[in-house]
Amino acid sequence: MAWRDLFKSAGPPAPEWAAYLEHFKSPLPRTSSLEDINFVVLDLETTGLNTRKDHMLSLGAVQVKNFEIQIERRMEYFVLQRDYSPNQSIGIHGIMPEQTATGIGEVELMQKLLSFLGSAVIVGHHIGFDVAILNKAIKRIYGKNLKNKVIDTVDLVKRWDRLGSTAPHRDLSLDAVCQRWKLPLHERHTAAGDTLLTAMLFLKLLGNLQKRGVNTLGALLRN
Amino acid sequence: MENAIPQRIFDSMQQYPPFSLMKDPDLMRIAERIRIRFVAKDQWVFQAKDAVQKQIYFVQEGAIHLLQQQQDPAQLVEACDQGEIFGLGPLVDSPHYQLGAKAEEDSLVYIIPQAILQPIIEKQPKVAWYFAQSFAAGKYAVPSSLGPPTLFWQEQQRQQQAFELLEIQSIDHSRKPVSCLPGTSIQAAAQIMRTQSVGSIIITNEAENPVGIITDRDLRNKVVSGDHPLSDSVDLIMSKPVITVKPDVTIAEVQMFMMKHRIHHLVITQTGRSDSLVLGVISEHDLLVIQGNNPAVLIREISRSKDGEELGRIRGKAEGLLRKYLYQEVAIGFISSIMTQINDAIIERAILLALKEMDEEGKKDPGVKWCWLALGSEGREEQLLRTDQDNALVFEDVDLERQEEVKAYFLQLAKKVTRFLYACGFEYCPGDMMASNPQWCLPLDAWKKQFSGWIFAPSQQHVLYSNIFFDFRPIYGAFELAEELSDHIFKATGERDIFLSFMAKNALQTPAPLTFFRQFMVERSGEHKDQFDIKSRAMMPLADAARVLILAAQVPQINNTFRRFDKLAELEPQNRALFEQAADAYEILVRYRALQGLKNQTSGRYFKPSELSKMERLNLRNSFKPLRELQDLLTVRFRLNFLI
Repeated sequence: MAWRDLFKSAGPPAPEWAAYLEHFKSPLPRTSSLEDINFVVLDLETTGLNTRKDHMLSLGAVQVKNFEIQIERRMEYFVLQRDYSPNQSIGIHGIMPEQTATGIGEVELMQKLLSFLGSAVIVGHHIGFDVAILNKAIKRIYGKNLKNKVIDTVDLVKRWDRLGSTAPHRDLSLDAVCQRWKLPLHERHTAAGDTLLTAMLFLKLLGNLQKRGVNTLGALLRN
Repeated sequence: MENAIPQRIFDSMQQYPPFSLMKDPDLMRIAERIRIRFVAKDQWVFQAKDAVQKQIYFVQEGAIHLLQQQQDPAQLVEACDQGEIFGLGPLVDSPHYQLGAKAEEDSLVYIIPQAILQPIIEKQPKVAWYFAQSFAAGKYAVPSSLGPPTLFWQEQQRQQQAFELLEIQSIDHSRKPVSCLPGTSIQAAAQIMRTQSVGSIIITNEAENPVGIITDRDLRNKVVSGDHPLSDSVDLIMSKPVITVKPDVTIAEVQMFMMKHRIHHLVITQTGRSDSLVLGVISEHDLLVIQGNNPAVLIREISRSKDGEELGRIRGKAEGLLRKYLYQEVAIGFISSIMTQINDAIIERAILLALKEMDEEGKKDPGVKWCWLALGSEGREEQLLRTDQDNALVFEDVDLERQEEVKAYFLQLAKKVTRFLYACGFEYCPGDMMASNPQWCLPLDAWKKQFSGWIFAPSQQHVLYSNIFFDFRPIYGAFELAEELSDHIFKATGERDIFLSFMAKNALQTPAPLTFFRQFMVERSGEHKDQFDIKSRAMMPLADAARVLILAAQVPQINNTFRRFDKLAELEPQNRALFEQAADAYEILVRYRALQGLKNQTSGRYFKPSELSKMERLNLRNSFKPLRELQDLLTVRFRLNFLI
């Protein structure tokens, strides 16, 4: 056991973490109707694709509730990374060092994220990667992982393809999927842009799956 | 926190009215509060009779159909596609939705809270106007506070501005009046004119009411020529009566007066009548200065021109004027009056030139009354661009033995006239509906018989002929012949209801020009494949409807389609809104056709819908709405369901 963990377990948990845990006192019943579920669609831009080495550069998140994207309930931040020097990933997300320099620190961002998330179900495209990056920060700060349920839109797409008679599509990138689902692809690859696009994709998937009888959280999580 | 997500919402809305009319911070405030809903195909956003939600809807993607649900099956009232708004009930405090809203295809819909929208509407009249027009189009009750309903808010708004500008200008240019009493000597009056350096002087009575006017021209023609000594009093040479106008006259009106009376000066009086105080004078020169161009000048040039080519060149200049009017969004009624007067002057000049040629060639004038008739769009006073010429000639009945000789003369004359018009740029009519065709150059009695034949045996061809010929308008010669023909038509159609039914049926031949109410119905094949035929798909059905309705109402003397609708609105208060919309629609169509024609250097009849801006497409689409309703009205009124 590292000395830092010793130190952490010794002190009282941070108040925001305690408040966050409160939301999980009573677990979400799997029979909850989809209308009642709080979803948070989330997307990160990072310095690279290695969850161990790379860091977040920006975070976008927006709430989906009652089958509606609630633009009012959103988070959009650049993340302060002092030692960030642009590598090849800048070609994808286009985030400049000047922008990250105006961002907020990871600690502050995670505080905000916890209160924004609550017990919401986290949704994203290839969301496993984003959650891993987030958990690295959360773990460093609070010594724990996020407790939220997670839904990957990639899984939902695959499921829809299975339900339909069409052959499953190989290309499951957000670009390809959105093209298939007729979503506008302008100016992608910023956390904010991808978040909105993913949220729209999620709405469409949700609406269509609902028509096929997927009405509860349990049914949605079953894959 | 960054604001990139609302910025995207903002971007996706800002090109569409009413959001395009909002100030950026206002629209941003809306974007930050949007909710986005996905509505799967065949799902309802809301149903008729549902309690109204405090929000309105914007179609971001897909298509929403508004349906009248009282009937079974529900009837489509309106189709909203990308960029359109619906569910406006909360804005007029309607307790329930009147129509249901159902997704025609998978759709993404933005939901805009009323609380954020209302204050913006209240402080932005343009935005309010847009909503007002949406209510008019969507058959909701119109709150009086939003002003009169109109389908074409943007055009009208800008038109008003254009006129306000003109009005201000005209007041600026009305000078302080220079005047003298009737007993003043010509010499004294000329002195005053010189010291004041004006080109005209108004002669007033003791009460300063205008009684006459003297201009430079009068001095040249009547005094310098020696007809009057300088000691004569001014009342002996003054022009009288003067034409008076009100101080708030617009340039457009001034122009009309000057052209109508063929005069160069108008006197402004307090009430606009001649028995009131003189306030100023407006000369044609003032107009030239204000406008830089003047149709009256063109008409004068026309009356002096010597051949078809010269006429063509002047008509080209008139097109420059037309372009300017169109871009300034001057009212179509005014534009078409001006262009009609120019066209009429050209035809008149062509006739005079042709008569001169006939004379030079030793062709003897048969000495009978005759009249040149303009048909089709020129007959309706709607020919803005040089399209085909359609014309006919009527002459007085003559003894049978003279008929051939007389007709031969007029046919020759007509051939020359049409040739002049062709040289001027008016194409020959492909259907040969021209006075040079023996079929359309007839004595009065033969015309009457021909018209009666059409009316009593309304075949498809006869109805088509009627549609073109019944819009005739006398241009030159003995107008009483044309009036007699017109009386004959009204009498004959009055006796034969069935003819009007056939005419009405013909007006229904072209369905409303949208496929599934979304895409413009374009031509499927031929030279104009994938182009929209604005004339036959949108304008002719309206013109045909107006004609048959005005014939049924027995109203003579109104040829112009939008004036016909205006008249119908007056005659049938119960259908006023529809007829007014139809008149507006027709004006819009005339305008768009002319704009497209000028842009592409064509007749403007065909264009690609994709070349229009979103706003233009919306306005055009709105102009199709009255057509559908008009066609319903014709069906009911002329009992067309019983007509096989």
